[in-house]
Amino acid sequence: MKRTVDVSVPIGPIHPCFKEPARVKCETKGEFVISAEVELGYMKKGIERIMRGRPWQEVMFLAERVCGICSVIHNMVFIEALEQMSTIAVPERAALLRVIVNELDRMQSHILANFSYCYTIEHETLAMYLLDVREHVMDELERITGARVTCAYIVPGGVRFDLRSEDVLHLRANLAVIEEEVTRYMHMFEGGPLIALRSREIGVLSRGAALEAHAVGPTARASGMPETDRRIHHPTYKKLGFSPVSRTEGDNYARIMVRFQEVLESISIIRKCLDTLPEGPIRGGGIPGAGEIAYSGEAPRGELSYFIKTDAAGRVVDISIQTPSIMNIEACCHYMLKGVSSLADVPSTFVSADPCIACTER
Amino acid sequence: MTAFMYEKDLSAMKYAILTSTRHDRMIREIAAELDIPQIRLRKLMMDRFDMMLLENLPARYDQGKNSRKTENPVEKDLGAGLYTRAIPLISSSEMGKITEQVQTLIREGTSEHEAVVAGRKMIRGVILQ
Repeated sequence: MKRTVDVSVPIGPIHPCFKEPARVKCETKGEFVISAEVELGYMKKGIERIMRGRPWQEVMFLAERVCGICSVIHNMVFIEALEQMSTIAVPERAALLRVIVNELDRMQSHILANFSYCYTIEHETLAMYLLDVREHVMDELERITGARVTCAYIVPGGVRFDLRSEDVLHLRANLAVIEEEVTRYMHMFEGGPLIALRSREIGVLSRGAALEAHAVGPTARASGMPETDRRIHHPTYKKLGFSPVSRTEGDNYARIMVRFQEVLESISIIRKCLDTLPEGPIRGGGIPGAGEIAYSGEAPRGELSYFIKTDAAGRVVDISIQTPSIMNIEACCHYMLKGVSSLADVPSTFVSADPCIACTER
Repeated sequence: MTAFMYEKDLSAMKYAILTSTRHDRMIREIAAELDIPQIRLRKLMMDRFDMMLLENLPARYDQGKNSRKTENPVEKDLGAGLYTRAIPLISSSEMGKITEQVQTLIREGTSEHEAVVAGRKMIRGVILQ
């Protein structure tokens, strides 16, 4: 006679499908996951401690080193927080250039997340296609900012480099290629019967649970929470008439589809920016001074908040960073993984929340 | 002796999480409201919550404080949703019993303030058990 035993199955810290080390401890009954717990501590940098006491000129470089995947938004939120604190104005051209770079960063992050998911459910063909199209986005980031990651593009009062007319041509041509390819891959994902078997109605996060865990970003928007998108409060995005994407299924499939849809949304935002890009300066000047502020922006994974206190010399006296992965991983291990009917779905459900351990541990 | 391989003591890391700026602010506020020593509250949280929940506590606390506004007056004063769903220090059934007792006290003529103070004392008792 078969015997069902309760066992504790650790997944990770090193797992071929995880981008970063994390240990997911699952309590299971056979294949059924009763509860899950994520253990951290494998890549703590102590970056908040390093930031304290340093001038903002040094902290702005440290901020984008919190995460290698979404470095632009860390740079942007930190600088915009300083600008708000010291009422520094940004020229319109610079504000739009910031949006372009931020959206390119979001696109590459979403494509990487979807690559990771497809790789986890063993659809390697689609995964490799996605990784290939991501290179087009990385090329554009490099062309505009001079670097693929940790670009340090945004500075108080503006941006570091202007967009040349030949760059605009390259960007428009590449956006057309990316749009075509991503649309094709989205349809492949949408219509794949095996993908549906591994993704639909798996790792469901209800709207109520998402609210309770304060889930953010595509994870929350896949559970019918478009209001969590911080871009609707950002003045430049407001001018561009931005409206967030959302779905209601709340499963792995919805989270991946939201990211695909957001990539297409980002392409249309960048095109609007290029169409309305005025001539003018890219730096307005201004030096951050003393103050205290809590400021949030929309990172690829969701709401990113910086709590900063500076002195008159612009030194960061205190800083606390709340990254979106903290909320999303918590929602994942306490709500999505609970009740998963097969252990094989644990890594894919975990990856569908796009967990960033570097952000979580800082 | 049986033990998990690679299992390690997480106390130091959990303590480091709870002493960060935002966590510290949250602990102080909860400890003041429930009249529990801060060090005791930190120890309780370290024992009962896993690392991810600890990391996410400030966000959950803010969310809990926001949803507190929509609760009925007694539940709002006791922090029924806050201490059961957002910061799960006490179970929903136990909080339900306490809320009922507080409402009974109010019906019997005790002032709302005194009844809530008594309710908080009961919550503290359950948490410190």
